[in-house]
Amino acid sequence: MSSRATLATALAIACLAGVGCGADEERDAAAVTERFYEALDRNDGRAACRELSATTADAVEHQEKAPCHDAILRLDLPRGGVAAKSRVYLRSASVDLAGGGIAFLEEGPAGWRISAAGCTPSAPGRPYDCELEG
Amino acid sequence: MRGFLKHNSLSLVFLCLFIAAIFFQAIAGHAVFNEEQDRHGDPHISFGSYITSSAFGVAVMENWQSEYLQFTLFVLLTVWFVQRGSPESKELGKEGRGSDKEQLVGEDARADSPRWARASGVRRRIYENSLLLVMGSIWIGTWFAQSITGVTEYNSEQLDPQEETVSWLHYVGSADFWEKTLQNWQSEFLAVGSMAILAVYLRQRGSPESKPVGAAHHSTGVEG
Repeated sequence: MSSRATLATALAIACLAGVGCGADEERDAAAVTERFYEALDRNDGRAACRELSATTADAVEHQEKAPCHDAILRLDLPRGGVAAKSRVYLRSASVDLAGGGIAFLEEGPAGWRISAAGCTPSAPGRPYDCELEG
Repeated sequence: MRGFLKHNSLSLVFLCLFIAAIFFQAIAGHAVFNEEQDRHGDPHISFGSYITSSAFGVAVMENWQSEYLQFTLFVLLTVWFVQRGSPESKELGKEGRGSDKEQLVGEDARADSPRWARASGVRRRIYENSLLLVMGSIWIGTWFAQSITGVTEYNSEQLDPQEETVSWLHYVGSADFWEKTLQNWQSEFLAVGSMAILAVYLRQRGSPESKPVGAAHHSTGVEG
């Protein structure tokens, strides 16, 4: 196999794996995360809820017994935040915030949406503890 | 055209079977993936999205790598190991790479021998081992592809529910990678070993994978 064909094959395999071809998706996931935290920072519950997945928005309303735009502002979530690192694997993503903490996202028909936020590490090998999750 | 089909019927039939099998694997895999999406409350994905995903990729690659490992090892080990009575084996006492005369290389090549069989030096060395080199390269390549697609799928599952992702290096040392690898390897080794020993005692008339029906059980390296 020629070296050009070998490189093309390796790139195709990497793209199949979602590695190195997901820069746009990483940027999209980071943008959704930053919009969510910016909305919280200016106390715009409606804008923040628009960045949530349907399941997560329902979970917030059920937990706080209030509409999402009110309930979301009652949670102990960071206000503002800059995305430091994004990781995308198939239809799941995580975004590390520069100030600490991590948000988890899932990709649906409307694009990336927050599925869990205000997450901090718990015990090794255990899921993160999240203030908000669907 | 008719001659081409007749002379290549074995490979063409297997090509058709492969295309059908991988198509229906994709259909079934897409359905299973979306069932799992339902369990997680996640939206369905399209068929096109599924067959370009790592979920499909790892399912295909983990099988391909084990098949090519099977052939790589079979080609290599049958040089030196024998099985008395098996048509899959060389005759007893003929273990090893064979003489140049037996292998029709160099000065012992015939007029219709492949060009690199008549050559000397590196070209002949490469051609003498070309089957092993290609099978082995495909095995390594597909095993690597399994690891790449596997770590992506593994990490997507880690993120729901909110667990830590792992690096590629961590993944190739993980139980998930080796479980996928070894579950395929064990079946390949069983299949080859079974074939080697069953063909000692059982026959399939007309198949070159079998001894002639009337051949003795101890006859080794004969074809039907």
